[in-house]
Amino acid sequence: MNWKDIRTLYLRELRSALRERGIVVYSIIIPVVLYPLLIWLVYSALTYASGQAAELKSHIVLRNLPVAHFALRRALQAERTIEIEDSENPDHDIRAGTLDLIVDFVQVQDAPPLAEGNVGVHLTYDASRDESATAKARFKRVLDRYRDRFIEREAAKLGVTRTQLQGFRVEELNVSSNSEMGRFVLGLLLPVMLVIMLAMGAIYPAIDTTAGERENGTWETMMTTATSRENILVAKYLYVSTMSFVAGCLNVMAMMFTMRSNIALLGGPSGLTFQVPLASIPVIVAGAALLALFIAAGMMILASFARTFKEGQSLVSPFMVAFVFPLVFIQSPSQEFTTRVALIPVVNVAMMFRQAIGGYFDWKPMAITIAMEIFFVTAALKIATTLVEREDFMMDTSGGAFRRFLKRWMRRNAEGEGPIAG
Amino acid sequence: MQVDPSGEAPVVVCNLTKTFLDQSRGTIRAVDGISFQCRESEIFGLLGANGAGKTTTLRMMSTIITPTSGTAKMLGHDIVKDPSGVRRSMGFYSASTALYPRLTARETIEFFARINQYPEEKVQARVNSLVERFGITEYAGVRVEKLSTGMKQKVSIARTIAHNPRIVVFDEPTIGLDVLNALEVQKAIHDLRSDGRTVIFSTHIMSEAEKLCDRIAIIHRGRILACDTLAGLREATGLHYLEDIFLLYVRGPA
Repeated sequence: MNWKDIRTLYLRELRSALRERGIVVYSIIIPVVLYPLLIWLVYSALTYASGQAAELKSHIVLRNLPVAHFALRRALQAERTIEIEDSENPDHDIRAGTLDLIVDFVQVQDAPPLAEGNVGVHLTYDASRDESATAKARFKRVLDRYRDRFIEREAAKLGVTRTQLQGFRVEELNVSSNSEMGRFVLGLLLPVMLVIMLAMGAIYPAIDTTAGERENGTWETMMTTATSRENILVAKYLYVSTMSFVAGCLNVMAMMFTMRSNIALLGGPSGLTFQVPLASIPVIVAGAALLALFIAAGMMILASFARTFKEGQSLVSPFMVAFVFPLVFIQSPSQEFTTRVALIPVVNVAMMFRQAIGGYFDWKPMAITIAMEIFFVTAALKIATTLVEREDFMMDTSGGAFRRFLKRWMRRNAEGEGPIAG
Repeated sequence: MQVDPSGEAPVVVCNLTKTFLDQSRGTIRAVDGISFQCRESEIFGLLGANGAGKTTTLRMMSTIITPTSGTAKMLGHDIVKDPSGVRRSMGFYSASTALYPRLTARETIEFFARINQYPEEKVQARVNSLVERFGITEYAGVRVEKLSTGMKQKVSIARTIAHNPRIVVFDEPTIGLDVLNALEVQKAIHDLRSDGRTVIFSTHIMSEAEKLCDRIAIIHRGRILACDTLAGLREATGLHYLEDIFLLYVRGPA
C-alpha cells in the first residue's frame, strides 16, 4: 500500500463529496438539523394542539351530587372551559359524542363515617375521543383541589392532621439524580439514532464513489492511473467510513444540544441534565468508528455491483433496512447486554453505547462486541479485495447483476476469467 | 509480423490474446494473437470496424484488463508483471474515460499528475504549463461539470499527459465530437508526436487515420491483417484510398 497515493485519492474523494449537494445534505446537514427541526416541529404541533384544545368546552353531567358538595359544582362553574349540562340520557349522549364526561357521586358502602360527606366518585368517559379525555383531566384537576381543601377542613374538625385522616397514603420518592435520569433517556434514544445516522451518512457516499463513478465514466479513468487497485479501494473505503463517522458524531452532538435546551419545551422534567460520562466517550467513539467501518464496507460492496446510481440505491437500501431492523430489539429498557447479545452485529454496538452512556462498563460483552465488529470488518474487506481483483467485476461484464456475477464466480476457472493486473 | 524481441522499441506487443466468456455465445476471442511495435515520435493507428478488437487491445496495453495470453511491454515495463510501471509510462484517453465533474480543471490536472507519480515539487509548474499550453487559463478554476464539450476535451487531454508520459494511447478520441472539437483533438495528437512521444491511436474513421497516422494497422476480428505506412499499404494493394484498402483486407478481393 502507498499511503501517499491513498492520501491523494482520499482528499480527492472528500473534495468532490463536499461539493455534492446530496452528500452534504445526507451526511452533514440532516444529522445536524434533524433534532432541532424535529423538536421544533413537535413543539409547534403541541402548542397548536393545546391551543386548539384550550378553546374547547368540556361538557359534563353531574349525577347525585350530595348537598354537602354543592361547592364543587360552583368550583366547576367557575371554570371557563367546563360546561355543566343537564341530560336525560347521559349514557347515550356520551356514546354519541355530545357529552364528554359523566360524574357519578356514590355512597361508600359499609365504610365507617370518617368524615361528613365522604363519597365516592365514578367517572364515565370515552377514551377514544380526545375531548372526553380532556374533560376528565380538567374535572380531576378541579376535583383534586376541592378534595384537598375538604380533607383539610374535615381533619381540622376531628382534631387530626390531614395525613392521619388519609390513612393508607402513598408517597413517591425518586432516588435518581437529574443526571442519571438524563442518561437513562439518552441511553434509550442515542444508540438507535447514532446507528441510523452512521448508516445515513454512509449511504450516499458509498453509492456515489462506486456506482456513481461507473455511471459518470470515471471508473475506467481511475483504473488507468499508476496507483494500485488496492490503494484506490482503501482510499474510497476510508472516505465512506469518514463520512459515516462524521454524520454519526455530528448527530450525537446535535442531539445532546437539542435535548439539553429543549426538553422542557416538550413538557419533560426541566432539571434533567444530558451529559455523557467522560469515561464513556472513548467507548462510544470506538464503537461508532467500528460500526462506520462495517457499514461502509457492506454498502460499498453492494453498491459496486451497480452500473448506475439508481441501481446502487436499490441494492443498498435493503442492506440499510436489514442493518437498522435489529435495533427494534434494544428498544426495551430491560434488555440486558449479555454475551449472547454481544454476538449479534449492530445490536451489540448499540447495547455497548447504552451501557457506556449509563456509566456502566461490562467488559466481557464489550470485548466480544469489539472482536465481532473487527471480524465483520475484516471479512467485508476480504470480500472487497477479492472483488477488485476480478476483471469481470471491475469491467462490469456482469452487467451490474449480483446473481450473474455469482454465476460467473462459480466458473472462475473458465478461460479468460483470471484476476486483473494490480 | 516480426517483433523485435529485445523490446527496445517504446511499445512492443507480442501475440496478445484476449478471450471472454459469453453466456449465449460461449468463448469469444476478442483479440487473437496480435503483435506490433511502435517507435518514438510516431503516431501508430489501429484501424478497424466496431467490435474489431481495438479497444480490447488498448485496454490490455493500458493494464485495465489482463491478456489471456501473450504480452506487451511499454518502455520495458511488462503489462502483466509491472502494471504500475506501465501506467506511469503512459497516458490513456478514450471517449469513455470521463473527468470528475466536481473538480475544477486545474484540480483535475493536478490530481492526475500526483496520482501518476509526477515529482511532487514539480507538480505546480507542470499544471501551469499545461493550463497555458491548452489555453484553459480562463476556466482553470471552473468545475468540470460546468465546462462545454470542447473545454472538457482539452482538460481531458491535459490530464492524460499530466505526468508527462512518453507513450499516449487514444482510443477513438473523436467519437461524438463535432468537426471543430475533433480537429482540436487531432491537433493535440499531432503536437504530442512533435514532443517526441509515441502515440497509439485507434479509430474507425478512414480520413482521420489517413491524416494522422505514420503507420496503420488494419485490425479485423481480433487479428491484424496489415500493418504499414499509408504509402506502403497503397503500394502493396495498388489502391489509393484507405477505405478501398481497408475493404480489400477485410472482405478480400472482389
